[in-house]
Amino acid sequence: MPYLGSEDVVKELKKALCNPHIQADRLRYRSVIQRVIRHMTQGVDMSGVFMEMVKASATVDIVQKKLVYLYMCTYAPLKPDLALLAINTLCKDCSDPNPMVRGLALRSMCSLRMPGVQEYIQQPILNGLRDKASYVRRVAVLGCAKMHNLHGDSEVDGALVNELYSLLRDQDPIVVVNCLRSLEEILKQEGGVVINKPIAHHLLNRMSKLDQWGQAEVLNFLLRYQPRSEEELFDILNLLDSFLKSSSPGVVMGATKLFLILAKKFPHVQTDVLMQVKGPLLAACSSESRELCFAALCHVRQILHSLPGHFSSHYKKFFCSYSEPHYIKLQKVEVLCELVNDENVQQVLEELRGYCTDVSADFAQAAILAIGGIARTYTDQCMQILTELLGLRQEHITTVVVQTFRDLAWLCPQCTEAVCQALPGCEENIQDSEGKQALIWLLGVHGKRIPNAPYVLEDFIENVKSETFPAVKMELLTAVLRLFLSRPAECQDMLGRLLHYCIEEEKDMAVRDRGLFYYRLLLAGISEAKQILCSPESDPSLRLLEDQAERPVNSWALDFNTLVPVYGKARWATIAKCQGVEHHGPELPNTAAFPTSGSLIPEENKERVQELPDSGALMLIPNHQLTAECFEKTWLSLKVAHQQVFPWQGAVHPDTLQMALQVVNIQTIAMSRAGTQPWKAYLSAQDDTGCLFLTELLLEPANLQMQISVKQSEARTETLKSFISVLETVIGTIGDIKS
Amino acid sequence: MIGGLFIYNHKGEVLISRVYRDDIGRNAVDAFRVNVIHARQQVRSPVTNIARTSFFHVKRSNIWLAAVTKQNVNAAMVFEFLYKMCDVMAAYFGKISEENIKNNFVLIYELLDEILDFGYPQNSETGALKTFITQQGIKSQHQTKEEQSQITSQVTGQIGWRREGIKYRRNELFLDVLESVNLLMSPQGQVLSAHVSGRVVMKSYLSGMPECKFGMNDKIVIEKQGKGTADETSKSGKQSIAIHDCTFHQCVRLSKFDSERSISFIPPDGEFELMRYRTTKDIILPFRVIPLVREVGHTKLEVKVVIKSNFKPSLLAQKIEVRIPTPLNTSGVQVICMKGKAKYKTSENAIVWKIKRMAGMKESQISAEIELLPTNDKKKWARPPISMNFEVPFAPSGLKVRYLKVFEPKLNYSDHDVIKWVRYIGRSGIYETRC
Repeated sequence: MPYLGSEDVVKELKKALCNPHIQADRLRYRSVIQRVIRHMTQGVDMSGVFMEMVKASATVDIVQKKLVYLYMCTYAPLKPDLALLAINTLCKDCSDPNPMVRGLALRSMCSLRMPGVQEYIQQPILNGLRDKASYVRRVAVLGCAKMHNLHGDSEVDGALVNELYSLLRDQDPIVVVNCLRSLEEILKQEGGVVINKPIAHHLLNRMSKLDQWGQAEVLNFLLRYQPRSEEELFDILNLLDSFLKSSSPGVVMGATKLFLILAKKFPHVQTDVLMQVKGPLLAACSSESRELCFAALCHVRQILHSLPGHFSSHYKKFFCSYSEPHYIKLQKVEVLCELVNDENVQQVLEELRGYCTDVSADFAQAAILAIGGIARTYTDQCMQILTELLGLRQEHITTVVVQTFRDLAWLCPQCTEAVCQALPGCEENIQDSEGKQALIWLLGVHGKRIPNAPYVLEDFIENVKSETFPAVKMELLTAVLRLFLSRPAECQDMLGRLLHYCIEEEKDMAVRDRGLFYYRLLLAGISEAKQILCSPESDPSLRLLEDQAERPVNSWALDFNTLVPVYGKARWATIAKCQGVEHHGPELPNTAAFPTSGSLIPEENKERVQELPDSGALMLIPNHQLTAECFEKTWLSLKVAHQQVFPWQGAVHPDTLQMALQVVNIQTIAMSRAGTQPWKAYLSAQDDTGCLFLTELLLEPANLQMQISVKQSEARTETLKSFISVLETVIGTIGDIKS
Repeated sequence: MIGGLFIYNHKGEVLISRVYRDDIGRNAVDAFRVNVIHARQQVRSPVTNIARTSFFHVKRSNIWLAAVTKQNVNAAMVFEFLYKMCDVMAAYFGKISEENIKNNFVLIYELLDEILDFGYPQNSETGALKTFITQQGIKSQHQTKEEQSQITSQVTGQIGWRREGIKYRRNELFLDVLESVNLLMSPQGQVLSAHVSGRVVMKSYLSGMPECKFGMNDKIVIEKQGKGTADETSKSGKQSIAIHDCTFHQCVRLSKFDSERSISFIPPDGEFELMRYRTTKDIILPFRVIPLVREVGHTKLEVKVVIKSNFKPSLLAQKIEVRIPTPLNTSGVQVICMKGKAKYKTSENAIVWKIKRMAGMKESQISAEIELLPTNDKKKWARPPISMNFEVPFAPSGLKVRYLKVFEPKLNYSDHDVIKWVRYIGRSGIYETRC
């Protein structure tokens, strides 16, 4: 982004760089170069002085050299022809007697991101790999990866790869780790560096010599090693034991992950490890480094998902301190909400109650929602606190409390009585749309138990003209109609007024249509209207499902110590999806399922519920494996249950499609190569009841259509529909990415 | 893997920008400025995702440091790296401030070039870096052969943290036990949570390759030794402390610690952090704060705060500061305090009471009358806690250094010849009392 007036600056600096007097004075020369770099940092386009800077690289002043090299690495892609002039100096430096100079030159040369540089750097890199100074070897090893990146995805140089593998035995620990990193990048297409038994054990033995970055990296690479026997497995775990107590939280987390993955078949070992890292994790959670503390808290939450009682005795560690940043407080409240049990519930609630009156409205609301969450188990205590909060008569508190009430009334019918008693009077303190909707819903559904419900709703009807949110109006229509069905005498008049307004004056079409719909429904007769509108008032089953859902450690072990716990699974899924699904390797087990209904989920739970199916939804089991023969047999024996065509343009990328299907637990049995005409694929999936779904995808590019035929082992239309919609989503998404 | 590293001032101007990977472009620099620095709200998370790029950011005074990546990396590791980066910079030029960064920008680029290569962390030990990145920088031509080989061996040596052939005329070492004591107390004086996080920092000026052994009053060790003589157990039993979890510098042999719980190591030359630990039991709370807040009608508050020092009368606490928050609608404050100076600071909404020195087992009191403006804001004042800062010359955890022995078999100096200094400093971390 060139700034105004940058031309003058470039001109002036060019003049200064050419001035022989300045060139003669080393310090002045260097200060001019510094100014160039300063401008470069600020985003001014300094490529105009490239020629002069290249000349400045021929110097004995190492700092000046570094600055010039930094400059060249930034602008070389813009001036490839001029950059070639610098290669000569760089090559000369690569054979300097000083290892620091050799390393610097090699590193810079490899970082010149421009076409055509490969032929010049190949030889220096090879020399560097055999250099006697480890400083140069470190640079050369990573240089291999840089060179491979420049080439694009061309073929891998076998000799180079072998050399790198042999350098894994190098004396210098950083060379070893760099080798792993470099091999990983070069062999990316083939699944990365191979960790066999000798390499794994060699690395394990070198671990204590590495610095924390190296240790973390090696722990990560060891994840892909599969011990041959149980004995070997436990040997490895013993060797790694001390890293669970490392001074670096990153290494501790890396070691924990490795333990969890290696011991995936030994749940007691996994529990044991999580016990061991409790101390280090708690230390990180109360550390003064706030960002680290945040990361640790995210992982504590992850552990609590599977072991709810794990941190219960340490609940005081998660009390918020006034001066902590917002993001830590919010995480801590979430943690408190999850570790509550019979012994600490009183203290935790006492603490959370204090947060509800915090100056920060966001934090106060989070605390109220947390109390609402705990209320599902400890109803009475929480209801009392929530009711008291209403007494404060503050807008931002009341609105969230009422929303919590709505969710509670829906999930735990036993609270309804208490909620109904607390409600009168709240309407004065609610201004926002979310709060209004919740209040109106409660008045509609439970209106027969609230004496003044019709009057409150009448107030809303009187102000309906000035109401800005259509969602509130819709909610109002439904609520008034519901209340009319249970208390007709009090509501008839106002229902008429509301319907009149909605049909005659309302400009929002959705509200208008809803009004017309109810009007026609009433015309059909009261009993019909009752039948249609009398939905259940609560659904405790939703809560039970949530409690029952067991999340074994193995379901998140792979995500531990990555960004997934930090962002949350749902959010990471969207980020990863857009990135071309690069983080979901083909073997990754994934428990994601697609819920088919979303409207009944209360706002605060949405995130959590998305991971779980609700009762009517389809749940495809992960790791479903069907052999090709078995598939063929079943396929031939069944009839087509459903056939449909989707629009499709252009060719298919089988890999992308396969990976996307893997994410939703659909297995690919066979697929034609990309570009084949017609293109075909066979897929299979199984839901939790054991019902098989076999699918054929047929693409004839001429028609711009993808034909889908699904066969089902047990005829059930509901799950079939859900399955088709899952398939539709995936194919739609892949189609979108392409276009 | 880190794709790029940026440093900004509080206005969002870029002070340093270094890109390591192709997938991070110049637009990432601006994206962070617009979405995080210029966003007029609290930081929602130290990890921000903008257009599928993750920004890990840390703020030091008014400087933002951001590491950028597109990969799924370990969050803890990246933050640790940023802290390390800050430590290294601090070791070179002191406080991380805009002025210091601007003055040392060449040096920072040099460091960034060494610490990360292609986005992968390389050597980050300050000691090692200091041997070849010097502030004068023009070493290349004057260097003698010997110096050069020294650097190489330092950079590449088997023991990464110490080079061979170090010589001092006076063998000396300094041990600092630095603790920060954290407290959250209820208005009734009940301890809601308290912990001490401590560090043992060692500065060593020792010749050769000395083997050191460090001993402290760790409960487990004392009990183990005490088995022999019952007398000793009774004497030292109450003085030993239970250390919750501790971590060590890379140089400490962990295997020995696990088996014998002894801490032995070959120290790096100069200053380094030997260990970090945490305790939660039997903490000596240096100060008690007893608050009393009375609301007189709607327009007046009476606050009385008593602080009591709870340590040996011969010791002196320093830099005591008590911060008493006041409501937002405060119109005037009158303060009377027996000791020190107290001032009402409008901009911070607090009464700040400073006492230079205070001996143990003393108490002091402040009373204030706060006049309030009548408001129609129905929000009740949330009463933030009273916080305290101080420094005391002992370790609130009760940790005591029992010995630090030095053995250097090859050179002719013994443990007795080493001059040793031990110092304890306890500081307040988050020390809050609710009112």
